[in-house]
Amino acid sequence: MPTTKITIFSVLLTVLFISGCSSSSQVQIDSQFPSVVSKPKPVKAAIVFSEEFKSYIANPNSKTSIDMGSAQTKLLSNAFAGLFKRIEFVSAATEVSFDNALVITPSVQEVQVSTPSDTYLNVYEVWIKYSLDIKTADGDQVDSWFMPAYGKTPDSFMLSKTNAIEEAAVIALRDAGAKLLLDFYRIPSVYNWVVTEQIPLDEKEVQ
Amino acid sequence: MNKLIALCAAALLAGCGATTTIDEYRPNNQVLDINSEQSVVILGRRDAGHYDTDREFIDCVAKKMQGADIGVFPEQQFVDAIYPWFEPRTAPKGLKRLRRLMEDTAIKQQIEHNGIRYLVWLDGSTETHDKGGSISCAIAPGGGGCFGFAQWEKSSIYEAIVWDMTNLTEKGRLRVDSSGTSYLLGVVAPIPLLTPVKNDACASLGTQLKQFFTLDQPL
Repeated sequence: MPTTKITIFSVLLTVLFISGCSSSSQVQIDSQFPSVVSKPKPVKAAIVFSEEFKSYIANPNSKTSIDMGSAQTKLLSNAFAGLFKRIEFVSAATEVSFDNALVITPSVQEVQVSTPSDTYLNVYEVWIKYSLDIKTADGDQVDSWFMPAYGKTPDSFMLSKTNAIEEAAVIALRDAGAKLLLDFYRIPSVYNWVVTEQIPLDEKEVQ
Repeated sequence: MNKLIALCAAALLAGCGATTTIDEYRPNNQVLDINSEQSVVILGRRDAGHYDTDREFIDCVAKKMQGADIGVFPEQQFVDAIYPWFEPRTAPKGLKRLRRLMEDTAIKQQIEHNGIRYLVWLDGSTETHDKGGSISCAIAPGGGGCFGFAQWEKSSIYEAIVWDMTNLTEKGRLRVDSSGTSYLLGVVAPIPLLTPVKNDACASLGTQLKQFFTLDQPL
């Protein structure tokens, strides 16, 4: 067998092996999220889910994309419904029909992913940094609240990269819902707005 | 000759046994009442940065409990039913926080609706350390084989805390500490002699927890 053929075959085999090591991951989050157990406060709010938010695809690095728009919209809709007694979901602030209400526009600031090959830890991690732009129905700024969420897999044993990132992202989204329910009425400016509007918040709060 | 081989094998296998210690604390020797409509939920602590109490261990303990006809509510189903109050960020770490949670009527109703009577928190991990030796394997056109010797030690430390969801009190604590050494011998074929440290910890903890719920043993 000619040496040239052997060399070409070896090079092709090597290229195949190397390309196999540099995988790219396209993650689609299809998980269902549970309903929140929470008694909503007698506050009116309009939640603005822009088209960009609803179809958001995160690209934390050149090899990873996470299609999380639909999942985050479902999760946050559910979480906001646990915060406000009267709620409407709109696609743009101009569509808000409530008055004397909060208008909340969530957006994703950044999504970060770390894998065992990055950190030498035995876990996959996902960070999602949300920002909530909170205004009154009249357009006055109440606050711009930074809301980080974090999720990690218990370990990386027998997990494909795609499945592991999906699992970590689902945990991060659930964490976002928990953070929102736990801390929203603790935001000083929101609390002050509620007090100014004379909305009763005297029912015992969980936290 | 056969006797010698059998003796060697027995000695090797005996060397693979784990050493397990259980510590139990109960404020009193009352039997923990539970009826057929009530259940226990076994939850893993997941708020530590460097480890998660693994689900495999929790499932193993839950299976041991179910073997004693105690109703065990699945962990994930409970966490979903009470979302988001038992997520890593929000789960109560102490009774004070649990009592505040249970002041919320929606949460209390959900716990009662699912018939949760006791909550068992499991916290701990299994770690590998003291690795030693080396083993190498090779393959050639004429055949292949492994030569060498490797050993490692595993230790499992888990703590279980039992909370009564009716009285909102702590009913007891259990701590299991299990360790053992595993070996890998390379004599042409690799021969693993593994010590089931985690299984031993699970079996010991499950058995002890069963007694917690079913037997009134004098201390």
